[in-house]
Amino acid sequence: MEIHLNRVDYIQVGVTSQKTMRLLPALGKKATQKVAVADHDGILTCFGMKKGEAVPVFKTLPGQKIARLDLGGAAGTPQEKIFVCSGSHVRGFTKKGKQFLTFEANLTESINAMHVSGSDLFVCASYIFNHYCDCKDQHYYLSGDKINDISCLSSENLSRPVLACQDRVLRVLQGSELVYDIEVPGPPSVLELYNKDGGEDVLYGTTDGKIGLVQIGESAAATKWEIDNDKKKGGILCIDTYDIMGDGVNDILVGRDDGTVEVFGFDSSSEPTLRFEHVLSESVTSIQGGCVGKESYDEVLTATYTGWVTGLTTEPQKAEAGPGDEVRMSKEIQSKVEALRAELEQLQVKVLQGREQYQQTSQSSTAVSAVPVFSINDKFTLCQDDASYSLTLEVQTAIDNLLLQSDVPIDLLDVDKNSAVVSFSECDSEQPNGNFLLATYRCQANTTRLELKVRSIEGQYGTLQAYVTPRLQPKTCQVRQYQIKPLSLHQRTHSIEQERPMNRLSLVGQFSFAEIHSWVVFCLPEVPEKTPAGESIAFYFHNTFLGTQLEATYCKGEGHFKSDNISTISILNDVLSKEATKRKINLNISYDINDDSVSHTLKMIHPKLQYQLLLARKVQLIDALKELQVHEGNADFLIAEYRNILDESANLLEEYKKQPAHLERLYGMITDLFIDKFKFKGQNVKTKVSSLLEILDNYDLNSLLDFFNEA
Amino acid sequence: MLVPIFTLKLNHKINPRMVTVGKFDGVHPCLTAATQAGKVFIHNPHARGQRPVAHRLSQSAQDSDISLLNINQAVTCLTAGTLGPNTTGDTLLVGSQTNLLAYDVHDNADIFYREVTDGANAIVLGHLGDKPSPLAIIGGNCALQGFDHAGNDHFWTVTGDNVRSLVLCDFTGDGKNELLVGSEDFDIRVFKEDELVYEMSENETVTSLCHMHDSRFGYALANGTVGVYDRSARYWRIKSKNHAMSIHAFDLNADGVVELITGWSNGKIDARSDRTGEVIFKDNFSSSVAGVVEGDYRLDGQIQLICASTEGEVRGYLPASKDLKGNLMDSSAEQDLIRELSQRRQNLLLELRNYEENAKGVSETNSGVGVIPANTQLQTALSVRPATEAQKAHVELSISTPNETIIRAVLIFAEGIFEGESHVVHPSAQNLSGCVRVPIVPPKDIPVDLHIKAFVGGKTSTQFHVFEITRQLPRFSMYDITVDSSAAPPTGRVTFSINDRPQRVVMWLNQNFLLPEGVDSPDITFNSLRGGGLLSISMASNGQITLRTDDIDLAGDLIQSLASFLAIEELSAEADFPGYFEELHTTLTEVDEFHSVHQKLTAAMADHSNYIRNMLVQAEDARLMGEMTTMKKRYRELYDLNRDLVNEYKIRSNNHNALLACLKSVNQAIQRAGRLRVGKPKNQVISACRDAIKSNNINALFRIMKAGTASS
Repeated sequence: MEIHLNRVDYIQVGVTSQKTMRLLPALGKKATQKVAVADHDGILTCFGMKKGEAVPVFKTLPGQKIARLDLGGAAGTPQEKIFVCSGSHVRGFTKKGKQFLTFEANLTESINAMHVSGSDLFVCASYIFNHYCDCKDQHYYLSGDKINDISCLSSENLSRPVLACQDRVLRVLQGSELVYDIEVPGPPSVLELYNKDGGEDVLYGTTDGKIGLVQIGESAAATKWEIDNDKKKGGILCIDTYDIMGDGVNDILVGRDDGTVEVFGFDSSSEPTLRFEHVLSESVTSIQGGCVGKESYDEVLTATYTGWVTGLTTEPQKAEAGPGDEVRMSKEIQSKVEALRAELEQLQVKVLQGREQYQQTSQSSTAVSAVPVFSINDKFTLCQDDASYSLTLEVQTAIDNLLLQSDVPIDLLDVDKNSAVVSFSECDSEQPNGNFLLATYRCQANTTRLELKVRSIEGQYGTLQAYVTPRLQPKTCQVRQYQIKPLSLHQRTHSIEQERPMNRLSLVGQFSFAEIHSWVVFCLPEVPEKTPAGESIAFYFHNTFLGTQLEATYCKGEGHFKSDNISTISILNDVLSKEATKRKINLNISYDINDDSVSHTLKMIHPKLQYQLLLARKVQLIDALKELQVHEGNADFLIAEYRNILDESANLLEEYKKQPAHLERLYGMITDLFIDKFKFKGQNVKTKVSSLLEILDNYDLNSLLDFFNEA
Repeated sequence: MLVPIFTLKLNHKINPRMVTVGKFDGVHPCLTAATQAGKVFIHNPHARGQRPVAHRLSQSAQDSDISLLNINQAVTCLTAGTLGPNTTGDTLLVGSQTNLLAYDVHDNADIFYREVTDGANAIVLGHLGDKPSPLAIIGGNCALQGFDHAGNDHFWTVTGDNVRSLVLCDFTGDGKNELLVGSEDFDIRVFKEDELVYEMSENETVTSLCHMHDSRFGYALANGTVGVYDRSARYWRIKSKNHAMSIHAFDLNADGVVELITGWSNGKIDARSDRTGEVIFKDNFSSSVAGVVEGDYRLDGQIQLICASTEGEVRGYLPASKDLKGNLMDSSAEQDLIRELSQRRQNLLLELRNYEENAKGVSETNSGVGVIPANTQLQTALSVRPATEAQKAHVELSISTPNETIIRAVLIFAEGIFEGESHVVHPSAQNLSGCVRVPIVPPKDIPVDLHIKAFVGGKTSTQFHVFEITRQLPRFSMYDITVDSSAAPPTGRVTFSINDRPQRVVMWLNQNFLLPEGVDSPDITFNSLRGGGLLSISMASNGQITLRTDDIDLAGDLIQSLASFLAIEELSAEADFPGYFEELHTTLTEVDEFHSVHQKLTAAMADHSNYIRNMLVQAEDARLMGEMTTMKKRYRELYDLNRDLVNEYKIRSNNHNALLACLKSVNQAIQRAGRLRVGKPKNQVISACRDAIKSNNINALFRIMKAGTASS
C-alpha cells in the first residue's frame, strides 16, 4: 500500500530548533488546525491557513532563542496552551497569544528539553533534570551524560519521566530516583509517546538514524521493534504518530537531519514498513500529522532548520492545464506572488540604504565593523559501518564556499549527494604552517547543507577546522573546530566480552579524578566532558573498524585500561604519558601484555581481510571475463566460479566501490599491531615491515601468525 | 514529468563517447557503439535475423538484434553518415590508433581502410567549406586529416596539440561549415578549410564539442565544465565535480530551440537551456553515460533523444508534448517561484539585520565575533621574485591589512595556474599576522584573473570578515626585468616589421608584463624565470622589431599577443632558432629510423605467425597420432614462440609510441613555425611545411620555417 503526498510550502520563520512546531487541537470536527512555531529569533508564531494563505493569529516580540515548544493544558481539557522555553525561562501562552505564565527555572544552563503534562513541567538542561508541579520544585536528577530529550508516561497517580541520554541509554525515573535504564543501539536524540492518550510505549530515534519502540514497564522495559538504518540516512530529529494512511492504525512519521521525511505504516504482522519517503533539502526539525491546508485533507506538517513550514498533503495537486500556452496560476498564488514581490521591492530599498550607510562607516577612522554571528547547524559523527567520520554543515542561507583545514593527516572522501566542486590545495605539512589538508568546496547555487566524509587514522590526533562562508553581504566566514581524538575510531558500548585475552595498562600517580577524566576525554570520543559523580567510573568502547574492545576504569590516583588490541594500549600509553608530562605529574605506568592477544586480534581481522582480498581478486577478474564472454558469445564454457563472478559483477563492483582503501587500512592496522607488539618488548622492528607486507601480499593466516611469533 | 518512452538493456558494454546512430540500409536507424575487445556492435531491432554472417560481421549469441563487427584493434572513435555520392545507406566509419575504416554495413564490405600515422582520436563527417563532397575528418596527434568516399586525402592541417573533439558548424555565418577543433592544450580552434580563423582558450582539455544552432555551440572540458559559446564569446558555463561524457543538442521541451543535453560520469543526464544554462530536465542512469545521440528509433516519424550508459542501458525520450508546458520536472513551477521569492526575502532580511546589528555596535568584550575597524582595506601587490636558495622563482602576491587585524587565511580561486581550481594559505595559529605572501608559479603564459578571498579578523576570532578582491596576473608575468649581465645572449631570434608607433608597443609591454615602474622605451631585456634564458625585445625606428630568445614557443606567444593588441591581421617574419632547429633535425632522422624498425618488426611478426600455424598443425597431428612426447615438445616450442611474440609486441609498441611522440613533435614544429606569423603568411608557412615533409625535403622545411616561404 503506497500513498502519494504533495508538497506545499506555507510560511518561513527564523531558524528553528528541534521540536519547536506543534499543531493546536482542532476546534470542531474536520476543521483546519492552527500551527504554533517558535524560532531562534525568539518569536513564537501562530498561524492558520485561509484560502491558501497563511494568516497569523499572533506573533510574539523577538527575544532569546527558543529551544523547545510544547502544548499543555489542564488534564481533561484540550491541550491548547503553548509553552516555550528559552534560556532558563519557560513561558506559557494561550491560543490567542496572551502570555499567562513566566517561570524562571533558576538553572545555570539553558533548558534544552521540556515536557508539559497537566500541571507538571519537566525540564532538562544538559545533565540536569528538574520536575516542577505548579511551578514548585518537586524532583531533581543528575544524569551521567548529556540529556537530549525528555518524555513522560503519566497515569492517574503516577508520572514516570524518561530521559534520552547521549551515552546510548534511556533513563526511567521515579521522583528523583533512577528506576532502571534501557540500552538503545545509538545515542537517542528524540523521544515521543507512541500513544498520546497514555499507555506505556515510547518511541525513540537515534542520532545515527535508528528508530525503536520500547515498552516501559514497572521495573523493566521490553523492546518491541527496531528499525535499522541500512540506507545510511540522516539522524532522527523528530517523530510523531498519526493515521495518515487512513487505515485506522497510527502510522509513524519521522523527520531526519538529512531532510528525509518518512512515513512508516504497519502491515498485518504489526511490523513497521516504509510507506512514503520525501526529501526536503534541509534538516527536518519538527513533524506532526494533522489537517492544516484544507479541510478534510490530512497532511504531514514539517518544520525545517531554516524555518520553512511545509506540508505534505493528501490533497491532490490541481491540474494546471488551461487554454493557451502560458502556465496559468491560480488567483491565490498570483496574489501571493505579487505581495511577495512588493515586499521584496521595499526590502531592496531598505537594504540599499543599509549598504550605503555601511559603506560610509568605512570612511570613518573610529567606527568598527562587526557583523552578527550567523547560525550553523553542524554535526560531526563517527559512522559505525565504514569507520569514518561524517561532517554535516547547515546554514540558513546558501553557502558560498567552505575551507577545510586539518593539522593531522586525514582522508577526505567523496560523497555522492554532494554537488560542490572540491579542490585540494598544495599544503606544507612541515612547520611553520603544519597543514595536512587544505581543501576548498565551491558550492552550487542554493546549497544550504553540505555533507562530507573524513577518514582518520588512530594515533594521529589534532583538529579539523571548517571555515564556512555563506552568500550573504557583508561577507563573513565562521570557523568551526572538530577534534580528531587519538582513539578516533572507538565508540561507546554497553558491555564487552571479558573472555578475550586482554592487555592491561595501569597508571598510578598523584592525579585527581577530574584530571584523569580529562585525559580520557582527550583520548576517546563520546565521553561526557563533566567529571562523573561518584568515586570511580568505568567506560566501555569498541573499535568500529576492527571490532576490538577497550575498558577504561579509573578513580583518583589510579587508572586501568584493558584492550585486546595492543595498538590501542600503545596509543593510550603514548598520549597519556605525554599529557601527564605536560602537566608535570609524575606517573607510574605499568603494563601487562598478553601475547595471545595479538594472535587473537589477527584471527579477528582474518575473516575481514580474507573477504576483502577475495573481493579485490574477483573485481580484478570482472573485466577480463566480460571480454571473454563477448568474444565467445556466451559464458557457458567458463567454470562455475567465474560464471558466478560474471553473474554477480554488479553487486561486487558496488561493494568494492562502497569501501575505498579498505584493504590498505587493514594492512596499516596489521603493521601497527606488529610494530606495537615489539615496541612493548623494547625492540624496533620497522626494518622488518617490508617482509610483513610481502607476507600480506600472499596472505595466509598461519604464515602471518608464524611471522608475528618468530620475528 | 518527462519519462523515457523506451528502455533497452543491450548486455554489451559501451565505450564512452563512441556511440552513433546510422541508417545503414537507408531506412532503419541502428544504434552503433564500440564495445570491449575491439568490437563494434550494431543494434538493429527492425530487420531481425536477415543478416548474412560473413566477413567482419557476426551475430551476437546473446541477442538476436545485435550484430558484432570485428575491428581487432581498440576503437578510438566512430561515426556514421553519408559519405559516398551513390550509396543507399549510411557509411560506418571506425577509427583506431593507427587506422581508419570506412565500412558499408548493408553490403558487408570495406569501402576503404587507410593507415593514419597520427591516429584518430576524434571523427566528424560532413561538408567542410567549399569542398564538393562530404569528408570524414579525423583528428589525431596534432594533425587533422579529411578523407572522401574513395579514401583520398583531401584535407590536412596541423593544430597545437592532440585533438580530442571535433565538430562542423557554420561559425562565421557565411553559409559554409567551419571545423571546430578541441585539443589537449585547452584551446578550441576554428578552421575555415585549412586556415585558422579563431582561437578560444579554455582551462582544461576540451573533450567534447557539439553544434547547437546557427553559430552557437556547446563544449565540455575534462574538469567537469560544460558551457555554450556563441561564436568566440562564451554565453554561459557551469562546473560540476563529475565529468561530462557526452554532449548533444536536442529540443527536449519542444519550444523550437535546442537544449544542451549532457551525459555525466555519475550517470546523470541533464538538459540545459542554451541561453541560461538552467536545468530544465534531469534523469539518472545507474552507471556512467557513454553517449547521447538522436534518431527515429521507433520509426514513427518522431525523433527521439537516445542516451546510452557504459553498462549498455539505453533510454529514449520523446520531446515533451504541449500539455507539459515546458515543465519537465516533477515539481510545481508556482511552488518553486514562491519558494525562490521567499528565499530572496529571507536573504534580504538577513542582510538588513547585519546592517542594523552593525549600526548598533557591539560590546568589545565579545571578541569571537571578529570586530575590525570599519576603515580596514586590504592592500595587494604583485611582484616578480627571482629564484633564491630556499624558493623557486615565482610571482609574489602580497596581501596586507593596514592595522592590527590579522589575516586568518587566504583563498585564491583561479583557472589554470593551480593543481585544482584554488590555492589556500592558512598560517598556523602562532604565525598569524597582518600580511600574507603567496608565491604563484603560473605554468603557462596566460593572463589569469585571481579571485582572492581573505579572512580578516582578530587573533581569537571565530568569525571573520571576508574581503573579496580580483587581481589580474598579466600574460607574461614570469619574466624579470633585472637582468644578470653575465648570462649568455640568446641565439634564437625573430624579426618582423609593424606600422605602428613605438609608444603602442610600450603600452603593450606595460600591460602584458609585470613591470614595477613601467617602461618608456620598447627596447628591453628580461630574464625568463622558467629557466629559458634571456628575452630581449628591440624596435628600430623603421618599425622593425627583433625578438631574441631561445624559446620558440615564447616568441610565438609574444607575436600573437602583440598582433592581437595592435590589431595586425597579417604579419610575416623571419626567424632563426638554431638550437630548436637542431633538435628538430635529430627528430626527423629518428622518425626515419623508427619507420625502418617498424617495417622490420612487421616482417618478423609475419614470419612468426607462419611458424605458429605450422607448429600448431604438427602438435595436433602428434596428438591425434598419440605421440605424446612430440606433442609436448611442440607445445613447449609453441609456448616459447608465444613468449617471443609477446616480447616482440612490447618492442613494437614501444617503437610505435616513440614514433608517435616524434611525429607529434614534428607536427608541433610546423605549428610553432606558423605561430611566428599572423594571418595569410601563417597559413602559407603551414602548407609549405606540409608539402616539404610530404616530399621529404628537409632542407626546404627549415628554409620555410626561417624565411616564411619555400622560394628564395
